[in-house]
Amino acid sequence: MLQLLRLVSLRHLSLSPLRTVLTIMGVAVGVATLIGIAAINRAVMGAFRSTIDTIAGKADLSISAGQAGFPEDVLEKVSKLPGVQHAAGSITVVAPVKGTPGERLYVMGVDLLDDGFFRNYEGADRDVGHMSDDLEFLNSTDRMLVSERFAASHGLKAGGTFQLVTPTGTQDFIVHGLLKETGPIKAFGGLVGVMYIGSAQVAFTRERMLDRIDVGVDPKVGTDAVKEALQAALGVQYEVARPDRRGQSTETMVRSFQLGLNLGSSVALLVGVFLVYNTVAIGVVQRRREIGVLRALGATKRRIRALFALEAVVLGALGSLLGIPLGTLLAKGTVSAVSDSISSIYVQVNATSVTFTPFEMIVGVALGIGGSLFAALRPAFVASQVQPVEALRKDMASGAANVSSFATIVGALLIAGVWPATRIPAPIENFPVGGYLAMFFILMGTTLLSPLVLRVLQRVYQRPGELALGVPGRLAADNFARAPARTAVPVSALAIGVAMTVCIAGFVGSFQKSSEKWIDQSVPADLFVTSSSKVAGVQNVPLKPEFGDPIEQMPEVAAVDRLRIYQHDLLGLRIFIVSLNPDIYNLHGKPEVREGRLPTHEMRQQGYVTISENLSRRRNLHPESTFEMDTPTGRRSYKVSGVITDYTSDQGTVFMDRKIFVAQFNDDRVDNFEIYLKDPKTTEQVRDRINAQWKDEYDLFVLSNQELRQEAYALVDNAFSVTYAMEFLAVILALLGVINTLLAAVLDRTREIGLLRAVGAARKHIVRLFAGEAALIGLTGGVIGSLSGYVLGYIVTKVVGVEATGWDFAYIFPLKLAVQMLLAATACAIIAGLYPARRASRLDVVEALAYE
Amino acid sequence: MITVSNAVRVYKRGKTEVRALSLESLVVPTGQFLSVMGASGSGKSTLLNLLGALDVPTSGTITIEGREISRLPDDELSAFRRDRLGFIFQFFNLLPTLTAVENVILPALLSGKSRSDMEPKAHALLEQVGLKGRDTHRPDELSGGEMQRVAVARALLTEPALLLADEPTGNLDSKTGAEVLKLIRDATRARNLTVVMVTHDPKAAEVGDRIVRLADGKVVGDELTRSAAA
Repeated sequence: MLQLLRLVSLRHLSLSPLRTVLTIMGVAVGVATLIGIAAINRAVMGAFRSTIDTIAGKADLSISAGQAGFPEDVLEKVSKLPGVQHAAGSITVVAPVKGTPGERLYVMGVDLLDDGFFRNYEGADRDVGHMSDDLEFLNSTDRMLVSERFAASHGLKAGGTFQLVTPTGTQDFIVHGLLKETGPIKAFGGLVGVMYIGSAQVAFTRERMLDRIDVGVDPKVGTDAVKEALQAALGVQYEVARPDRRGQSTETMVRSFQLGLNLGSSVALLVGVFLVYNTVAIGVVQRRREIGVLRALGATKRRIRALFALEAVVLGALGSLLGIPLGTLLAKGTVSAVSDSISSIYVQVNATSVTFTPFEMIVGVALGIGGSLFAALRPAFVASQVQPVEALRKDMASGAANVSSFATIVGALLIAGVWPATRIPAPIENFPVGGYLAMFFILMGTTLLSPLVLRVLQRVYQRPGELALGVPGRLAADNFARAPARTAVPVSALAIGVAMTVCIAGFVGSFQKSSEKWIDQSVPADLFVTSSSKVAGVQNVPLKPEFGDPIEQMPEVAAVDRLRIYQHDLLGLRIFIVSLNPDIYNLHGKPEVREGRLPTHEMRQQGYVTISENLSRRRNLHPESTFEMDTPTGRRSYKVSGVITDYTSDQGTVFMDRKIFVAQFNDDRVDNFEIYLKDPKTTEQVRDRINAQWKDEYDLFVLSNQELRQEAYALVDNAFSVTYAMEFLAVILALLGVINTLLAAVLDRTREIGLLRAVGAARKHIVRLFAGEAALIGLTGGVIGSLSGYVLGYIVTKVVGVEATGWDFAYIFPLKLAVQMLLAATACAIIAGLYPARRASRLDVVEALAYE
Repeated sequence: MITVSNAVRVYKRGKTEVRALSLESLVVPTGQFLSVMGASGSGKSTLLNLLGALDVPTSGTITIEGREISRLPDDELSAFRRDRLGFIFQFFNLLPTLTAVENVILPALLSGKSRSDMEPKAHALLEQVGLKGRDTHRPDELSGGEMQRVAVARALLTEPALLLADEPTGNLDSKTGAEVLKLIRDATRARNLTVVMVTHDPKAAEVGDRIVRLADGKVVGDELTRSAAA
């Protein structure tokens, strides 16, 4: 069998090198995208996990209480508890580095004496062991040990200074010493600084607060028992957990984002597999006679099937092997983009390096080969049905694959199954199986139905084709549907790429349209002031409330609303609590109330809050529903007053009165100063004044309402940029398929081309003939793609999106983009068709006529 | 020995049925060189397809070497073709990507034999058919006559019991055609091989031992050639 493969198949592959290379590249890009994205997802999660793990060190349990932390006297209480062998408190701050936008330093405030029990710090230039009684280090609020990596990237040595943005503005810090990148210093991509806890509390205005207490348990008592005792002693507002359990809600939150990326990468592989199908199917058609000979010489049907299947395996294997280095490049090129996206939306991570596990590579190669084999099944079956008699036929049967009624029926069934599939409930949160299944049905269904569509379109294309290009145009329309099953392959591949692009654009566009309306109604302030990040939420540095006082005194300013946008765990979701001053907000904002009403002053005092639409849907909360939330001041019960449209977080949002929030969460910091002006015309004036006075000191961003809106768009666009890129890649792959198909058509019709030339067709006519056919392939792919993209976009918005985010917004079809994609697909297909067209036009007439 | 009895082959063309062959009885003894003649549509190609196990009769039986082949499943038909039959086609049907020697050993490779085992035999056969030194040429580097010689060598490689030839000289000039026919006759006679050859050409038909004439799917003439009668 292998001999036969080498002798018959491989030689064919090497005789049409262009097609072979295109196919291998197709598989390679598919595999590369798949393993690249898998590696990126793992790298981002790994960076997040490893920060938690390396920081946890040898701790058996760790105690935390949300973002605001808890009073440091809890440490004493914990230390005294029986079974607790050792306890160390710490704070962690992710501080923007002044002068290098986007860079952040992970600062740990620890007591080195206690902390040594859990974590090992290794000095690069001096022993850290005696640091715990180094008075200079302990007594100054600006001395920090920094990682060698950070020092090197800023050219710092011991004694050097650098600046970080803190809640009280930019501050100078002095490098007290360098730390080797071991143990906890490996956290956050190695950009770590260590301060004495007392100093860090002062520097970052976290006086007498802790973020975490690590606990070493007496093995005789046991971790579980101590955990229970701690929980009972501290109360429910404290999370007492094994370190490996921490961060789970964050991982769930990022899951849907990563799932989207995986989905995008599978589309690329799918299109790659289409290319294999294309190549093998073309091979079967062209080698019909050869198959007949093999059969006449005694090859069994099974043998023919195996031969073509093996051929696909060879293509798949070569493509997969090439896909690994390509995937490495791809992952290295995009990991920071994905990491930035996740950092700006969900949680701060610093993933800069990607590694590939053997498992991922094996899965990638297996999918590449398996996919190729799967793609070859049908053509291989068709090949095995070739009758030996065909070898004896004098007129070589062209064996044009026809519209198969079986495929048509299956296609129709799949389309019929789309709606029922969307009704399947999601088995786990953030994983809308039904929606994805429906999308798969649409892609496969349209693929199977496309030969039929081609047949119908042939008639439609004849007249316009003739009008546009003369006789060659008419012939192009005929040729286009001559072998519908074969032409359908590049058409479908193109359609899938276009469909996915249109689908994502539809979802993103609909989201942006809705959020635009939301900003119009619900985010009415004239200026927004944040520190270290344009948008308040995950990456900004919260400031002290007093920062707003001088702004309030400006004559042009009517009011300043101080917003805290606080990430917090609620009912298994990592939601945002937005606290604001309702007296200011209600004068300007008109949020869209979907259910119930906004709470009055009295209701707020009784625990009534407003929640976002998506939180309502995700946790089935409606007016008068009650829910409990753990706060730093204990577990509290809240009641829903109203449900409003809000796009702050895909996890959900709870709106609270700032006064109540500050009292319940012990946190008066401010993420966003929202400024209302007496006269909007003074916007620039006020902005200039704020910038002149504080921009540098506080690393401020002062955005107008319009700019905030653009930032929000950019955030969404960034989140989808990698997915967009992958769909773009899929379209490129599909165009390779167009070249493949037309090259094969040129070979098939050599004799016919000779005939046309003999009866007077000029070279340009032949070019028009093939370019015209390419245009029809592109146009049809674009049309089918846009239409199925319309439905896919609807499903993503109304089924997948609703499940993954809880947001249900109006779907708007991206008509402009769909038309652009349609035109681009046609234009690109023509360009792809030019090479085969020129090749056809250069055939020697006499030779072509004699071609057998 | 080949025995055909009551073999009927009906093709369906849309709703009409075409009775391509209807053969009451035909017996070809081992070692005989039978030429089948007839106009286009007389049923000679159908007969060849049936004898070559490329097609099965609608009714009736065909026995070759004591084996009833008309009801064999596809896999066994393939195996039978591979091991017991040799084919020579009008259009040579060599694989364009293979060299002469590779084309010759192809049937053996299909039988699972190893290439290195078969190559000496293939070289020897190519030498016998007069293609010494052309072993590594590809079909497009060979003349029509040479290609047909490669096909003859290929047909002989597996030492078949029956050689089937479909207009083997149809695409060759008369001189080359005569040479190829002589080659076929000599090679098969030396091996006591049964040959069934379909041809248009009365001169070519005379090379064999016996001529059967077909018209409208029926035998209308059956005679020994002059050389056999002599």
